[in-house]
Amino acid sequence: MKRLRVDRWTSQLLVARPGAAASTPVSALRSAAVSRAAAVRHRSTAAAPQPLQEDDYFDGTDHPRFPPLESIPPRSISLPSPLPERALQSAKLAALHARLSLSPNVPLQTLARALVDASADANPEFNNTNLAFVGRTLINYHVAEMLMVRYPRLPMEILFGAMKGYAGPVSLHQVARSWGVEHAAAPGGEVDPGLLQFSLSKKGDAITGMGYKRAELEGIKKFKWRHGISSRVVFDNEFGEVVEDDEHDVEQLRARRDTEYGNQYTRALAQQAYSTAAWAVVGAIYTHCGREAAKNFIRAHVLSRTLDLSKLFVFKRPTRELSMLCAREEFELPVARLLSETGRLSRTPVFVVGIFSGKDKLGEAAAPSLEQARNKAAMNTLKAWYLYSPGEQARVPSDMLVDDAKPWEPAHIDMGEVISW
Amino acid sequence: MTIRALPQISSSRNGLGAFVLQCKTMNLYYCDWAGSSKGMNGFIKSLFPKFAAANPQIEFTVSPRPSKHPVIVANYINGREKAICVRNMEPYEILKKIELLRDASGEKVRKVTKPVTSINESVRGVWSPYHGNGLRV
Repeated sequence: MKRLRVDRWTSQLLVARPGAAASTPVSALRSAAVSRAAAVRHRSTAAAPQPLQEDDYFDGTDHPRFPPLESIPPRSISLPSPLPERALQSAKLAALHARLSLSPNVPLQTLARALVDASADANPEFNNTNLAFVGRTLINYHVAEMLMVRYPRLPMEILFGAMKGYAGPVSLHQVARSWGVEHAAAPGGEVDPGLLQFSLSKKGDAITGMGYKRAELEGIKKFKWRHGISSRVVFDNEFGEVVEDDEHDVEQLRARRDTEYGNQYTRALAQQAYSTAAWAVVGAIYTHCGREAAKNFIRAHVLSRTLDLSKLFVFKRPTRELSMLCAREEFELPVARLLSETGRLSRTPVFVVGIFSGKDKLGEAAAPSLEQARNKAAMNTLKAWYLYSPGEQARVPSDMLVDDAKPWEPAHIDMGEVISW
Repeated sequence: MTIRALPQISSSRNGLGAFVLQCKTMNLYYCDWAGSSKGMNGFIKSLFPKFAAANPQIEFTVSPRPSKHPVIVANYINGREKAICVRNMEPYEILKKIELLRDASGEKVRKVTKPVTSINESVRGVWSPYHGNGLRV
């Protein structure tokens, strides 16, 4: 009589179909391999070892035709992100580590984790959310500190704009791209850990942003309610922008995602993922190498970039603001004088106008009409005031954190921008 | 408020703070049988391990490409690629070629006509006809 092999029945049930894996919860998948091993161990009569199940090693390719270059651990395809131990075998990751000249103290596993976005793997133990938050605060701190010491008279609006120019997501997206980081077409356990992984079908729900959602958000958006600069410091994000949930147009763009190659929504997701990865790399350096290494890295990769601050200014009433400034600083009242002119009656006249306060010339500009020339000269004068700098070598407060720091010399603190209306 | 800020992005200056090598990956293709790959095979056996160890920033792959000439294809951070066919070359000639690919920026090769190319404004400023003493005609 042929013996009934009950163990075979159960093992058949335990083998997961590759297609069924997607609906399994993440936590169950992580422990699936373990539970399967446990189930095998409980067999009472294991006469012959089972042949290796093809499904366990399924990685989405036809193995007889395309033999895999790398042996991927079993059931990798069902994981949301690659296993940490695979980071040691990734050539891309090792190359990125060397390209950024990272210290050997930063392990490849952490670098691999910095490349997993929250939209790819929701588990905060495997994605870069926490590292990114650390990195983001550090980058913002160092950029703000540099701008405040180097340009002590910057108006708050311009300071926010400059912060965004250096440390904003668009800028950091370019930083991460300039490191040679590439992204995987879709996230998954089988992709190379050296690729940036984010999902184009969903947004990560991790909170990495700063600021609070205002109660009067609807009114600000609809009626353009006034929200003063002081309230922006308290409520809004680090660039003085109102925090809002950007879900209004997203549905339509998401629907177009599959029909067109890249749209506004997918580009925004990619940009977000790249900038988060850049933050996370800084966070990883801080975690493993400490404050000074992180500061040097930020200085080398973020602060070394250039931004012409004089191109940020837009003035509404420059002449009035200039006269307010002169009154506040107890300069003599500014007077615009025509320095030279040519072709007044021609098609292309040029007037050179200087702004004088007493005998001091504060600024000058050339323009095709007297009114424009005066306004431009006033703008140049105001820029010259606001862009005062004690020099590139000015020390920042974080320089005092090293042990053998020289005594602190007080930085220039300005009384603030001119308040006019 | 009379002052507003225009949105601007800082621009990168590679080499000023940190230097990132622009060559990202290199693919070396060889053929086991063909005579034109003789030097390439010798290069891969003798000189390549040392070169790869000295350049950890670059991801190298070595793949067979039967019945074809040997090629080195380099990919750059700016998204471009450069390929050099190294058929019938000696290993040391191939080393020269691979160093050339490593040191390239990935940009198209252009004729440089100006002695200095800079994103900074000129220190002297743009010449203005309305300043100075002018020219007496």
